Amino acid sequence: MEYSIISAIGTIIIGFIISLWLPGLERKMIHARIQQRIGPPISSPGIMAPLKFFFKQTIRPYSPLPRLYNSLPLIGLLSVFLIFLFSVPETYHLGALASIVAIVGFLKIEEVIYVFMGSLSKSVMSLRMPFPDLAKGAKHPNVQRSFLEDISAMRAFRLIAFGSFPLYIAMFIPVVISKSIFLGDIVAYQKLHGPILFSVAGVIGAIVFFLGYMILLNEYPFVILKAKADVIEGPYMEYAAKWRALVYIMRGFLMFTLAMLFSVLFLGVPPSIFSWGILVNILVAVLFPMLMASFSAFAPIFTFKQFYPVTFGVTILGVVALLAAFI
Amino acid sequence: MGTVHSAAIEPYRVRLFVEDEIVKDAEITVGVNHRGVERIMEGLPVEKANSLTEKICGICSGVHLWNSVLVAEKGLEIEIPERASYIRIIVGELERIHSHLLYLAHGNEVLGHETFSMRLFYIRETVMELLRMIGGNRVQYGVPIIGGIRPRAELDEMKIQKIREGLDYIEEKVKGFADRFTSDPMIMSRITGVCPLSRKDALRLAVTGPTLRATGVEFDMRREMECYDPFEFDIITENDGDVKSNLLVRVFEIFESVKIIRQALDNLPEGAIVDRSWEMQDTNITKSYVEAPRGTLYHSYALEDGRVRNVVIRTPSMANIGAMQYALIGHHITDAQLGIVQCDPCFTCTDRAIEIVNLKR
Repeated sequence: MEYSIISAIGTIIIGFIISLWLPGLERKMIHARIQQRIGPPISSPGIMAPLKFFFKQTIRPYSPLPRLYNSLPLIGLLSVFLIFLFSVPETYHLGALASIVAIVGFLKIEEVIYVFMGSLSKSVMSLRMPFPDLAKGAKHPNVQRSFLEDISAMRAFRLIAFGSFPLYIAMFIPVVISKSIFLGDIVAYQKLHGPILFSVAGVIGAIVFFLGYMILLNEYPFVILKAKADVIEGPYMEYAAKWRALVYIMRGFLMFTLAMLFSVLFLGVPPSIFSWGILVNILVAVLFPMLMASFSAFAPIFTFKQFYPVTFGVTILGVVALLAAFI
Repeated sequence: MGTVHSAAIEPYRVRLFVEDEIVKDAEITVGVNHRGVERIMEGLPVEKANSLTEKICGICSGVHLWNSVLVAEKGLEIEIPERASYIRIIVGELERIHSHLLYLAHGNEVLGHETFSMRLFYIRETVMELLRMIGGNRVQYGVPIIGGIRPRAELDEMKIQKIREGLDYIEEKVKGFADRFTSDPMIMSRITGVCPLSRKDALRLAVTGPTLRATGVEFDMRREMECYDPFEFDIITENDGDVKSNLLVRVFEIFESVKIIRQALDNLPEGAIVDRSWEMQDTNITKSYVEAPRGTLYHSYALEDGRVRNVVIRTPSMANIGAMQYALIGHHITDAQLGIVQCDPCFTCTDRAIEIVNLKR
């Protein structure tokens, strides 16, 4: 029992520490190399920036519910932590919690917090700016004005509605193949039959999973939630000091956790500090952001005109993989 | 958006009236950066006033000075040495190249393509260094003076060789960029048909420069300038008036500028670079138009006791930005910034004492 607790805690700590380096690897090793510039130190985006923010002055956001707004990154981080926790082999005996259904639930929490972030944030970028034509009379004086974050909240809804389909479909491919929703069974199946990745459904599923990973992480070109060209930072706009640090940490940790989930579902390698398999988890966790950065460095921001067809196409690909899994 | 928006380099305010993220109406307000340069110029000695025009813009500073000097030269009927005219053209075309490269880099940044943006900035760096070598500065090189060019801008063999090498590098790199850019389906999908301006609207709204040429109108003020007569170059046009056309017109104009500079270097006349034999006298209001990187640039003033009076400056972005608020309508909110950027707006240039009112479709 004690051994299990130490293993789970140790694995989470290792995963967490590595996750802090992933944004730096993505920026320095790939983006900066492709863009032929020096780039920031590897520790800068994931470790030093959050550390700096922890010591900044906390500014009260202009929000109808400032405490709830500020607590959202913590909720997001907690949901990612739970996904990680229930992916560790020592928790597989918990049954329903260590299942795909529970993971989908926690990922949905992760997704839905962006809607709340957007709708609870009211930055100075729009309504509060005292434009003189308010007094003089504008071209359309009686229109309803919205905050930039409102737009990002609507986009978060769109992501929940269809943007996250590819990831979830890909997650169910191992379920179909192993005929079980429990992570323990999926891992056990792959121990017997080899990694699902090396099947037709697995290969297609891996591609779909990777694109879903990019969509969920809101990376270029799927960056509709916080596109600089319109909503600037979108839901994150009002986060300052330690809350902003938590946003950074949450993203890095999500990067690691999703990659680790891929190792569990498609390679049958769960994370454990007492197994060499954790090296596979780390390798996948490092490879995914690097692949993502290589792709995003050559992609423009998608508008809905590109986003919908691409997401639809990837979803169809996921369905094909799912059908292949049944066969 | 604005007055300071992260995707915009300079301050201006855009009000977008949207329905389901589609722009139904747009209102662009300029004037945030107004510094009253014309008013400051009033009453200054002409040389001082001329050098002040260089401060209007950090991108096309050279062409502002050139045009301002041309006003005085036209008013005083000064014939400048041919060598000086050629060197002015070389500097003017180098400036056009760096301005177009800046435009392309900024356009790609707004598009979300950081990689292309960075690479274009690297190419531009070569032009900036050439301008520094000729004029002594990267931003305000101060080459033209009344009667010719400043002695420090004289081109010797070493400088000519460096310019030739720089042009070879720029041409090769821009060709590579153009090939890669036009063959990228994701980029083409993002810029084709986005925020187009019809030829009719472009003419009605007095759009100028590459933005006008992107709508299919073959007009370039360089064809009207006598000093460009010895040079052979094409006027680049595209027909769609959208973001793609605007980007492509500027890409191909870079090659035309390279062509002009090469001709100027090959046929650079010998002789003096400045004529100091002219005498100051009073003049009526004299006008001058030149083709700046963004379009037709207008300067006019009168001379009275060697001092400038009635200064009026009209920059190309003024008209182009006004037209953009029509181009945005019906397009996605994410494309709005791109739609504005397609006209290569320069707000330090634009914020002059002119107001556009009641422009209706």
